[in-house]
Amino acid sequence: MTSEASLRVGASEYLPSATPIRSPLDSGLLRESANIEVSDTLRADLLDLDAWRQILTTFGRTTRVAVALTDSQGQVLGKCHNAQPVWQLVHDAARGWGTGCPFCITTHVPCTAVADALQTDGVVMVHDQAGLTHVAVPLLLGKLRLGAIIAGQVFDRYPDPLLLRRVAKEFGVSAQGLWELAREQRPVSNAVLQASGDLLCALGQAFLRQRYGAILEAKLAETNGRFRLLVEGVRDHALFTMDPTGRVTSWNGGAERLLGYAEAEIMGRNFSCIFTREDIQNRVPEKQLNKALEAGRVENEGWRVRGNRNQFWANVNITALEDAGLARGFAIIVHDVTERRKVATVLEEARQERACLQEKLLSHVSHELRTPLTAIYLFTTNLLDGIHGDLTPDQHEHLTFALDNVKQLKSMVGDLLDITRVETHKLTVEPQHLGLAKLIDDVLSTCLTNAAVKNISLRSDVAPGLPFVWADPARVRQILINLIDNGIKFAPAGGTVTVATRPYAENEGFLCLSVSDTGCGISRENREIVFDRLSQVRSTAEASRSGLGLGLFISRELVSRHGGRIWVESELGHGSIFYFTLPAFSLAKLCALVLTAPNLEAGCVTLIAVDVAAIEGAVQADILLEIRKVLERCIRPGQDVLLPSMSDAEPVGTFFIVAGTDAKGFEVIASRIVRELQNFDSASKLKPVISSTTLLLAPGQFGEEQIGDVASRVDQLVQAHLLGKERLK
Amino acid sequence: MTEKKILIIDDDQHLLLGLSARLKAKGYRVICAADAISAITVARKEVPDLVILDLGLPAGDGFRVLERMRDLADLAATPVIVLSARDPADNKKRALDAGAVAFFQKPPDNHEFLSAIRHALGETIALSTFLKT
Repeated sequence: MTSEASLRVGASEYLPSATPIRSPLDSGLLRESANIEVSDTLRADLLDLDAWRQILTTFGRTTRVAVALTDSQGQVLGKCHNAQPVWQLVHDAARGWGTGCPFCITTHVPCTAVADALQTDGVVMVHDQAGLTHVAVPLLLGKLRLGAIIAGQVFDRYPDPLLLRRVAKEFGVSAQGLWELAREQRPVSNAVLQASGDLLCALGQAFLRQRYGAILEAKLAETNGRFRLLVEGVRDHALFTMDPTGRVTSWNGGAERLLGYAEAEIMGRNFSCIFTREDIQNRVPEKQLNKALEAGRVENEGWRVRGNRNQFWANVNITALEDAGLARGFAIIVHDVTERRKVATVLEEARQERACLQEKLLSHVSHELRTPLTAIYLFTTNLLDGIHGDLTPDQHEHLTFALDNVKQLKSMVGDLLDITRVETHKLTVEPQHLGLAKLIDDVLSTCLTNAAVKNISLRSDVAPGLPFVWADPARVRQILINLIDNGIKFAPAGGTVTVATRPYAENEGFLCLSVSDTGCGISRENREIVFDRLSQVRSTAEASRSGLGLGLFISRELVSRHGGRIWVESELGHGSIFYFTLPAFSLAKLCALVLTAPNLEAGCVTLIAVDVAAIEGAVQADILLEIRKVLERCIRPGQDVLLPSMSDAEPVGTFFIVAGTDAKGFEVIASRIVRELQNFDSASKLKPVISSTTLLLAPGQFGEEQIGDVASRVDQLVQAHLLGKERLK
Repeated sequence: MTEKKILIIDDDQHLLLGLSARLKAKGYRVICAADAISAITVARKEVPDLVILDLGLPAGDGFRVLERMRDLADLAATPVIVLSARDPADNKKRALDAGAVAFFQKPPDNHEFLSAIRHALGETIALSTFLKT
C-alpha cells in the first residue's frame, strides 16, 4: 500500500451556504448544557447508533447517500445506511475497517474530515483520489463537540478508468465490477451534495437536541423515582420537608406512620403540631429552626406528639436547605427512640440502685466504724489530757501515736462515705465567702505534727490582696490536707511542702492554689492517673503507703463541685506541684440567688441591715460570728442571702441580708430576726437592731445585665454603709 | 456557781464512760441514760441544763426523744446537742429543725465539742460581760 493511497483534495473547499448551523440552545436544559461536563456515558448515550439509525437511514434513502456516525476523534460508531453497492463492495473487502472513515479509500490514514468539521464547527466536503466524495457534519451541543455525521457520495462524475483499476487493486475487487456499479449509480452533483450537507446538519442538530432533552428527562425521572422509592421505603424514620416558615411541604410514609398525620392532612400545616404544648409555649420549634439556620444542622432529643396526642421520645435532625445563600426551607428526620430511652432509663435506674445500695452499705459500715472509733478517741484523749493522772513520757508518746492513727482512721472513714456520695451525686459543697490566708494557716498548723515526724518544713506563700473565694471551708481544708499529706508522704526527710495562692491568669473569676513538694516527682504516665479512684503511684523512694488512695480522687471531685479544676505538674526527681482553682467571691453571683427576674419584676427585693452594738464598749469577734450563725438561721436559703462583710478586716458589727420580699414580707423577716436575736442573747448587754432597709425596686424587664446592675447597687449601698459615709435610706 | 448538769443519752457504754470522764474533769455533773424511754424518765427527774443526744437508740430514736422533750414544759427549753455517728448530710438539718442547737458527727473534735457545750450552756455569753468589766 502506498502512502498516496488517499489523496485529500481540498479539505475545506466546501463553501458554506450560510453560517454553520448549531443547536439553537433555546431551552433552559440546553443552555445549561453549555456548562455541563458531559460524561463518557452521556456522550455514548447521545451518539447511540440505534437512536440515530432511523433518522439517518431515512435520510440516506431519500438523498441516496451512505451515512455514518463518528465520535469527536473520527472513530466510526456505526453506519446507518449503505445503500450504494460500491460501498458495500469496498467495505466487504476491507479489513480492520471499523477504525477508519468508511468513505475514505484507504483505511490507515485517519480521515481529517471529521476533525476539520469539528474544528470549524461547519460542514466539510472531502474528495478523495478515487473521485469519491464525502461530507462531514459536526454535532455540537452548546460548546461541546460530540462527533460528526459523515455522508458519503459515490461519484460526482464517472470515474476515471485508471483510478478504478487502482481502487480495484487496492481492495482486491474486480475493476469491471466497480465500473458496472459506477455506471449503475447516477452521479450526484456537488450542488446536491452541498444541500444534502446543510440538511443533514440541521436535522442532526435538531435530533441531538431532542435526544439530549429526552436523556436528561429520563435521568431526572430515574433519580426522582429512586429518591421517592428511598424516601417512601424508609418506614422507621419520618422524613419531611418544610418551607422557611416551618410549613410542611412533603411528607413520607414513615412520617405518616410515626407521627400519625396523613399527607393530605399535614401539608401546609406548621410542624409545631408535633411538639408538646409546653415546648410550643417556650417557642422551642422556632428556636430549633433558628438554630438550624445558624449552624446548618441541629440534632436534639425530646418528647414529640403524634396525631393521636400520644407522646414518644424522638431523635430529631433538622437540616437547613439553602440555595445560593437563600433559605429554601428545612429537611427533617424524626426517629422514635422511646425504646432506647426506656432501656437507658432502666440501666440508669439499676446503676443508681446499685450505687444507693453501695452507699447504704458503706454508710452502715461508716456508722459502725465510727462508734468504736469514738470510744478509742475519747479514752486516748482523756489519758493524754491527764484526766486519769500523769503519764510517763513514753506513755504520752505512744498514746500520741495511737491518737494520730485514730485521726487517720477517722479521715479514711470519711473518705469511704465521700466516695459513695460521688456515685450517688450526693457529694455536695456548701460554699461561703472565705478568706484563704487564715484557712491556710489553720491547715498548716494541723499538718505540723505529721510534717515534724519526717522533719519536713511547711511554708505558706499567699499573695497579698487576693479576693475572697466562694467555697466550702471544710471541703477546702479537706482538699488542702489531702494534698499536703501527700506532699509530706512523698518528700524526703528535710524537704519542704509549700502552699501558695495566686490569681489565676487564665480566668479572672478564679484563684489558683498550689501545693508543691520537693519529693520524687510523678512520671508522665502516672500524672494522667493520679486523680483516678484507688490509684496510688508506687514510688521507689518509699515502699510503704498509708491511706486508701482516695484522697486525690475525692479532691478532684470536690474541686469540680466548686466549679474549679485540679491538675499536677511534675518531673521525676524534681518534686510535684498540685494546682487547683476555686471561684473568686462575687457579690453579683451570690445575689443572683435572690435577684431573680420574677423577684425584681415584682419589686420585692429588700436589703436589710442589722447593726450589732454593745451598750458599752466593743463587741467581741467571737460573738459577732455567733450572731452571724443566728442570722443564717433566720434566712431562707435560696430566697434570702446573708451578705458577708465587705472588708477583709475584722468582723464588722453590721450584717446585711438581701431578702426576696416586699415591704409587707419584710415585717415578717424583721420580727423573725428580732425574735431569734432575743433568744440568742437575753442576758448580755448586746443590742442588735435592724438599722435600715432599702427596697431595691427597679421596674421593667430584667436580664443578666440588669441583675448585675442591681447587684452592684447592693454593693455600693453596703460599702457606703460600712464606710459610714451615708446611712441607708 | 452551782455545777451545771449534763445528761448524756447514748447506748454505747464506752462512750458514756469516756465522755463523762472528760466532762466531769471539766467540772460538770454528768448523768447518763442508755435508751429513749429511760432518757425521758431521767431527764424529767433530773432536769439537766444540757442534753447530749445520740440518734440511734433502743426503744425509739433520738428524734423521738427530742420531740418528747419539746412537749414537756420542764424540758422544752433545755438545749440539746446531737452527737451521732450518722451522716450529717441526712441528719444535721433535721436535728436542728427539731430544736437541737448543734450537730456533731462521731468522733467529735474535743475542743470544738466543748466550745459548743459551753455556748449551749450560755457560758460563752459571759465572755462579753467579762470583756466589759
